[in-house]
Amino acid sequence: MEDILSNALSILVIGMITVILILGLVVVVGNVLIRLTNKFWPLPDGPVKKGNSSGAIPAGTMAAIVAAVDTVTGGRGKITKVEKK
Amino acid sequence: MQEIFSKLFNMTAFGAITYQTVIMWAIAFVLLYLGIKKKYEPLLLVPIGFGVLLANFPGAQMGIVDASLIEVGDGRYKNLFEIAHEYGILNFLYFSLIKTGFLPPIIFMGVGALTDFGPMLRNLRLAFFGAAAQIGIFTVLIGAILLGFNMNEAASLGIIGGADGPTAIYTTIKLAPHLLGPIAIAAYSYMALVPVIIPLIANMFISKKEFQINMREMDKKYPPKHQIKNMKAVKIIFPIALGTVVAIFVPSSVPLLGMLLFGNLVKEIGTSTSRLAEAATGPIMNTATIFLGLAVGATMTAEVFLTGKTIGIIVGGFIAFALSVTGGIFAVKTYNLFVTKKINPLVGATGLSAVPMASRVANEMALKHNPANHILQYCMASNISGVIGSAVAAGILISLV
Repeated sequence: MEDILSNALSILVIGMITVILILGLVVVVGNVLIRLTNKFWPLPDGPVKKGNSSGAIPAGTMAAIVAAVDTVTGGRGKITKVEKK
Repeated sequence: MQEIFSKLFNMTAFGAITYQTVIMWAIAFVLLYLGIKKKYEPLLLVPIGFGVLLANFPGAQMGIVDASLIEVGDGRYKNLFEIAHEYGILNFLYFSLIKTGFLPPIIFMGVGALTDFGPMLRNLRLAFFGAAAQIGIFTVLIGAILLGFNMNEAASLGIIGGADGPTAIYTTIKLAPHLLGPIAIAAYSYMALVPVIIPLIANMFISKKEFQINMREMDKKYPPKHQIKNMKAVKIIFPIALGTVVAIFVPSSVPLLGMLLFGNLVKEIGTSTSRLAEAATGPIMNTATIFLGLAVGATMTAEVFLTGKTIGIIVGGFIAFALSVTGGIFAVKTYNLFVTKKINPLVGATGLSAVPMASRVANEMALKHNPANHILQYCMASNISGVIGSAVAAGILISLV
């Protein structure tokens, strides 16, 4: 019985250390990926600057249009021009 | 004439109905009532409840038989045709889909395709509380041994504390398949009771002041160092990178975690793999859920279920669950002692799996104390890391026990 209990206790210690270690790795991997993507593949942040044309589309609206076209056409469609009337 | 009546009587199941049969029917009716009327995890409790009913119709040959009956010696087993022919279709389903450990990872693939790692990636430090909330698993392992369970059974009982149905089933299949029915029932019942259990524990250990810690205010006061400038790219690379790292450290967690991360990857890639994500979350997951529920329910025959061990599992499972919630709360409390950017302890309470119900319950509790304190996205961070944590804990148990 004592053997089984000491075995269970060691599983408790090893188990908790491993779970903490793995979730620590989740944090490390996540942070490394965020830094790498921020450095090499950043997306322009904030709304797109308006051009000379007064009919420029806000970035949020544009993103919604792109997502809608992407979904409807299964990724095959492309937006070439968006005009305000 | 009497002979005809006698033959008629023998054809029916009346002669084989015992009081144990009636008790099992009552248990099945309760499970069906909880699933249908109370809507407690209906997708699982309804098939499990009906499976219990099917298994306990005398003479129907739907109950799952002991694995020793399908062994033919030298580590070899009867083939699936023989199993179906001799023991019926539910045994065919059980030995082909459950005993092989096939369905839980398939369900995890669907769970992965439904999971958004975004909240966790935005609040990475909260991922640690998904680890603290696994303490119930390992603590109850020791408690169960003291109660007379053997090591394999104790480990299967402890995993209920992870609050993750597929993980509990997968671990039990590997370690103590004879306890599959009661452990699955306990795991899913306590998951359904998250809206009762989390408030019960949280109200015991969290002070009024702690309930009011506003995470958004904290974020404004102490903004995170790094903003994510390309979330889509991070979300696509994350499951690949994490899967690779975890596979090296805990290979035995790969069947569950690997499938979870694969499901998540096909979801995050977007339109080019959307058909795979739809299949994983729709037809595949639904089919797997039906077969899993029915086959697990069918393991609960009277002779297997009506034992003292079942009561031990029900009580032990609750303790494991409650300890996991408590562990998460105290981990946050301890963390708060050393930092200025405080965390609401409810975030720790959601460090077990049970996504997203645990987060929703914690958010509602926070809103009760302060209607402007929305903590859902923070709870989701520890909640999602809890899914990873419990899969890793399962892998550890399978390797070490």
